[in-house]
Amino acid sequence: MLSSFLKKVSLLCLSLFSFVFSFAQDKVVTGKVTDSKDGSAVSGASVVVKGSRAGTSTDNEGNFRLSVSSSATTLVITSVGFDPVNVDITGKTAVTASLTPQPGGLSEVVVTGYGTARKKDLTGSVTSVKAKDFNKGVNTSPDQLIQGKVAGVQVVNNSGAPGGGTSIRIRGNSSLRAGNNPLIVIDGVPLSSTNSRPDIGVPGDIGGSTPSGNPLNFINPADIASMDVLKDASAAAIYGSRGSNGVILITTKKGQAGAAKIDFNASVGTSSILKRLEVLDGNQYRQALADFGFPNSVRTTAVPTANYGGNVNALNAILRTAMSQNYGVAFSSGNENAKYRVSLSYLDQEGIIRKSDFKKYTAGITSSFKMLESKKLGLDVNILTSQTIENIVPISNTAGFKGSLIGQALQWNPTRSLRKSNGDLDIEYGSSDINPLAFSESYFDKATVTSVLANFAPSYKITKDLEYKMQVSVNYSTGLRKSYTTAFININDIALSGGKGGEANIAQNELLTKQITNTLSYNKNLSSKLSLNAVVGHEYLKTTFSGNSQYGRGFIPTEKPYYYFMASSDPSNRRTNGFADPTVELQSFFGRAIFNYADKYLFTGTMRADGSSKFGKDNKYGYFPSLAAAWNISNEGFMSGLQAVKNLKLRLGWGITGNQEFPAGASQLLYVLNGGNPATFVQQQTPNPNLKWESTTTFNAGLDFTLLKGKISGSVDYFNRNTKDVLFAKDAADPVTPAGAIKWVNLNANVINTGVEIALNTNIVKKANFSWDLGTNVTFLQNELKNFIGEIPTGEVNGQGLSGAFSQLIKTGYALNTFYLKKFVGIDKATGISLYENGEEKFFLGSANPKLLLGVSTSVMYKKLSLELNLNGAFGQYIYNNTANAITAFNNIGKRNIGVAEYNLAKSLGEKPVNPTSASSRYLEKGNYLKLANATLSYNLGNLGKSIRNANVFITGQNLFVLTDFTGFDPEVNVSKPLNGIPSFGMEYTPYPSSRTFNFGINFSL
Amino acid sequence: MKYLVTIVLASAVLTGCSKLDEKLGSQVTGVGSGGAVSATDILAGTYSAMRGPYQDQSEVWASQQHTTDETIGPTRAGDWDDNGVWRVLHSHQWDPNHAFLANSYKDLGRVIFSATDLLRFSPTTQQAAEGRFLRAMAMFSMLDGWDQVPYRVNTADAEEVPSVRKGTVALDYIISELAAIIPSLPDGPARQANKDAGRALLMKCYLNKGVYANRSTPAFAPADMNQVITLADQIMTSVRGYTLASNYFDNFAPGNDNAGSAKEVIWTGENIGGVSSGNVRSRWFCGLHYNQNPSGWNGFTTLSDFYDKFEAADKRRGGNAYPGMTQGILPGFLIGQQYNGAGAPLNDRTGAPLAFTRAVKAIEVGSNLEVTGIRVIKYPIDYTSGDNSNNDYVYFRISDVILMKAEAELRGGTATASPAAFGGSNTALGQVNFLRTNVSRGASSLGSLTLDILIDERGRELYWEGWRRNDLVRFGKYLNAWQEKPADASPKTLLFPIPARSLAANPNLVQNSGY
Repeated sequence: MLSSFLKKVSLLCLSLFSFVFSFAQDKVVTGKVTDSKDGSAVSGASVVVKGSRAGTSTDNEGNFRLSVSSSATTLVITSVGFDPVNVDITGKTAVTASLTPQPGGLSEVVVTGYGTARKKDLTGSVTSVKAKDFNKGVNTSPDQLIQGKVAGVQVVNNSGAPGGGTSIRIRGNSSLRAGNNPLIVIDGVPLSSTNSRPDIGVPGDIGGSTPSGNPLNFINPADIASMDVLKDASAAAIYGSRGSNGVILITTKKGQAGAAKIDFNASVGTSSILKRLEVLDGNQYRQALADFGFPNSVRTTAVPTANYGGNVNALNAILRTAMSQNYGVAFSSGNENAKYRVSLSYLDQEGIIRKSDFKKYTAGITSSFKMLESKKLGLDVNILTSQTIENIVPISNTAGFKGSLIGQALQWNPTRSLRKSNGDLDIEYGSSDINPLAFSESYFDKATVTSVLANFAPSYKITKDLEYKMQVSVNYSTGLRKSYTTAFININDIALSGGKGGEANIAQNELLTKQITNTLSYNKNLSSKLSLNAVVGHEYLKTTFSGNSQYGRGFIPTEKPYYYFMASSDPSNRRTNGFADPTVELQSFFGRAIFNYADKYLFTGTMRADGSSKFGKDNKYGYFPSLAAAWNISNEGFMSGLQAVKNLKLRLGWGITGNQEFPAGASQLLYVLNGGNPATFVQQQTPNPNLKWESTTTFNAGLDFTLLKGKISGSVDYFNRNTKDVLFAKDAADPVTPAGAIKWVNLNANVINTGVEIALNTNIVKKANFSWDLGTNVTFLQNELKNFIGEIPTGEVNGQGLSGAFSQLIKTGYALNTFYLKKFVGIDKATGISLYENGEEKFFLGSANPKLLLGVSTSVMYKKLSLELNLNGAFGQYIYNNTANAITAFNNIGKRNIGVAEYNLAKSLGEKPVNPTSASSRYLEKGNYLKLANATLSYNLGNLGKSIRNANVFITGQNLFVLTDFTGFDPEVNVSKPLNGIPSFGMEYTPYPSSRTFNFGINFSL
Repeated sequence: MKYLVTIVLASAVLTGCSKLDEKLGSQVTGVGSGGAVSATDILAGTYSAMRGPYQDQSEVWASQQHTTDETIGPTRAGDWDDNGVWRVLHSHQWDPNHAFLANSYKDLGRVIFSATDLLRFSPTTQQAAEGRFLRAMAMFSMLDGWDQVPYRVNTADAEEVPSVRKGTVALDYIISELAAIIPSLPDGPARQANKDAGRALLMKCYLNKGVYANRSTPAFAPADMNQVITLADQIMTSVRGYTLASNYFDNFAPGNDNAGSAKEVIWTGENIGGVSSGNVRSRWFCGLHYNQNPSGWNGFTTLSDFYDKFEAADKRRGGNAYPGMTQGILPGFLIGQQYNGAGAPLNDRTGAPLAFTRAVKAIEVGSNLEVTGIRVIKYPIDYTSGDNSNNDYVYFRISDVILMKAEAELRGGTATASPAAFGGSNTALGQVNFLRTNVSRGASSLGSLTLDILIDERGRELYWEGWRRNDLVRFGKYLNAWQEKPADASPKTLLFPIPARSLAANPNLVQNSGY
């Protein structure tokens, strides 16, 4: 069915666009393009008839076939990383072309924000990752494509659910509040950090809400041509008050001049759990009961022991082997004056927990036109549309003692069958033990997010050197979420009572960002040696965010979704809500000048003035300058004798960037409708009219090098980021308003991140039939809070007996998110109760921030077979295992299941089941890990028959193994456990488990 | 270059330069915003703000109960460790980072803020008086626990650093406020700030005046005691027509807001059954075992020494059937084997009989740790209203007024005869005996009355109502040893520490001595 669908789509595309390339064709030229160095084929090289619109690109063997008019004389052959060549075809039908590689990919074009630059002209720290280097396999959002690929960048999953959110940290974390993610800009349109998918609570008295989705889900990864990470201030300062956490620029694929081309990709995959948290099985549990003095005869009504007689793996009951499928088609065509690319994609990824899945439909068009006789007027129009549909399972970050779905599965008594002998689910009303399979059966939760990003960009070349460009964009997204929990589950307030039960939610949010940017760019050789590349601009952006929701409880049970019958819910427990955040406006003026003297001395200066409606009335505009210089040492005369050094460049940069991720309205005196009954207006927060951006001063020194004829290339960077005026929702002085006890302030404190990044790429072997590349990136990170007065707890620990417990304390002199806990020193042999150093005293015990990040990628190609491997790891960080502390803790024995590790420790230490639960270093684990994140084996079939070109089959494994001592599911999950709004890092609590995925697919072109 | 700048400026003008004034969505700026915010709104918000600090089990109630001989929150293996918050309350070992004490202080401040904010919205005289009364109550609780009461003059001034009134200065302010507003308060109903509520709070102020002057060795001035007696007589003869309830537990039962059966209540926090309430249901959830109906949290208990202060015949101790309590749970103290609604004995989760024991420890280490401790049901359970129980939260009752009057007479005040409705006795002993021996209590008549006997009687009458700490301090017994608590090493614990978070936010607060 799908193939017929694809056929229809391709026919449609062909018929729609055939007019673009219908012109006279008189003769056919074939040829082969090779690399001058080793004679290997150059695939994907552009072959265009000079002075005409006709063109094609080479296949995987470097071959091309092109119909040209009889009058054509010259072909222009270009390929990224090579110098362009003109080939004479007068009187010829077969030609060969040999391309000379440019050293170290230096002519590679890098997107820099409001423009592009050749890599060799860069003065800042920018890492560009091209599509061919992206992580392969099933990726639902773009951030996964560069996971482990870029020095200094850590992408950590917040949940293992398909479509789950991530935390992206570029060069450490500098903020005390949620707002450490970088600015993400897609084709010049900055994305809001807000997600239109509504959050809703998990049902009844379970506690908490499901994790947020990933705001980048709307992008089709296959539409991305490159991702450029701006890491230092010299690169990011052009984004002013939003550049502090770094900037990721996403550039989508565009149509190429040349013959029409259709690319297909299709893949199917299966996923299963990566790593288990081991709990006792039925037999081990019976043994454990005996070991610790509990009766373990089989339970009867008269003697209700904890041994139900069975052997059940409750986690398995909710897990499954999940299937995924992904199809994409992209049609591109064009000539020098009109280029198009149209793409469609469909992704259907099941989650490894039953009833969870993620579907995504995308359709996008990018187009570029040159108009007028002079071709001075240009127009780019890009539209990306998408819809994601998620089925979500009830896993909460902050569940109480009943646990959410994963917790319930882990703590389910393994001797107790999930079903009764008659096949019905075993649901014990009045009990706080919740059957995970029954909970799964009773819960339905679907989120639909629909997005449109449209951008219209005319440009005009005023003179040869001067170009004006305007970009107008609209980014609209709406999220609709509907959920209900049926009345048969034994959760308080949900379970059927008096003929009514269950609950339902409907919530909808709308997010709209409009932006207009005007830029003037000027490129001129001021003298024979000095050239200038400058841009100045003005930008205005406006974001609105609003939503509404309905909640009902107490329905007459029905087979249909309860939210159909919201009006029949119990009126006293029915709630409706609405909100509209203050409109956020940002108005900016910016400029950048790059001077290049003789390709030896480079100088960049940038300046941005940002005015924001969010800033307090006394601080409307912030100014963000940067200065950087680079010295191309290898272009100096004295280096000419050194053949081994192809390129050597020293970069120095300084600049100031900002962060304004605080809620709109925080500077004003506001009254907000405080929900409940009666709903009343109350003052929202203590306002701060002086509130402004947080600013980070960055110093960066880097060295880029290409050695041994390009065999080794890389860079080393040192950075120092000093963040001041730290934004913080401080306790307001008592007495505080009823609605909020906080005041947003710029703290007189500093967060210092220092580090060294090393990226090294090596061509170990490069021969016609065999090549081997190795890329390694290593980052050393250090983080410290200075000059901060006070102590802020965060990292809430949840679970039975853990109210009020937290695990991290923010304090001057320590890294952010340093763990602060009682020190567990063993078990008192006499009482079987935990001993702690100095009783209740707490100690600072290591931080959640890794000291070292490692990424290794290698690719080996032999003839048509290639293998790519990606390893990534993080070292030196700690993880708080809230799951072991609360859900699988030893003292649950006799009532609920416990962890194998907990059981073994309890036995060896002589612990007794009466030992109180307490947050302590006992549950603080080393988080070191090394993961084989991605392995892809592909075979290049080449051309098949007359029409299929560049066919390639591959198999990809994701998360193949993880080496770690961590006892939880995955050391790479960061469950959000904030306290009073202060974000945590490095916490695990019954998350959606990570999966291992195998994916088989094929790509080809027509 | 000139060219360049011109075009950019031109395009900026074309786009329109924004003034960047923040345009609001669902929030409003208050005054002058189309009348969306009114005094009625803010006053309702102030009443709502009372629920958090007073009705939740972890705030003012915990600070007044867990710190005394009436209440303990034992750690039961995997349950109720809660970072030690309950243990340190009972053992008087809290520090400035105690989360619940910090929340109490903050939430009392919310009431003070909201009531002050009300005054900016042109309230009627009565609305202003109601707001100022709620503020006085919150200030009284802050003064009682922490001795330092921060306040704002202008709630619209974000730059204002709140000033602080301490000790007797704070008390004098509260007294002056109450004196000023009582005439403007309505007579009733109980759920609204009313004249008698003002008088009852004023009684607490005069009774504790010597305490706030010197907590270690309070001295009680006869003039203050006479004020207490005068106010008591005013309340007992007020138009509200108080009488003792026919059943002691009627005062706390669902529907206690309509004066029908609960003629003792002077002032309550309104909870609307099934619609809107504070966390009053925590009063029964906190003690009930998981296997009882409703399934509770299996936490707090009382102590056997306190339980033993009751005579067997004292109906306040419980054990008698009560309308609507059909699930095997009776109001009062739960001790021994527990039953379900059908009368069948219940088991705990280990299969052992669910029989609550007299013995209880701060940290339970026995295999019976689920069932230790005598549970307390002060508020008859509302089985019909779901999350939002219909029991109004009781702040002041007439029996407290009777006992305060008797106390003032013992502390040097001039005894006056109680009204006939309250026995007509002109001695403290007679007044207390009237209460004790009423058919709703059924206790025997006392032969004599001393302060030591009176503090026990206050316990028996007002147990778990959130006044015990205040009483023990005034009676000089707060630093003593009792079950699961040694004598305090230092008198610093007569005050709670100013919470670290509050201290850091306001330079006008100074940490209480010893912390």
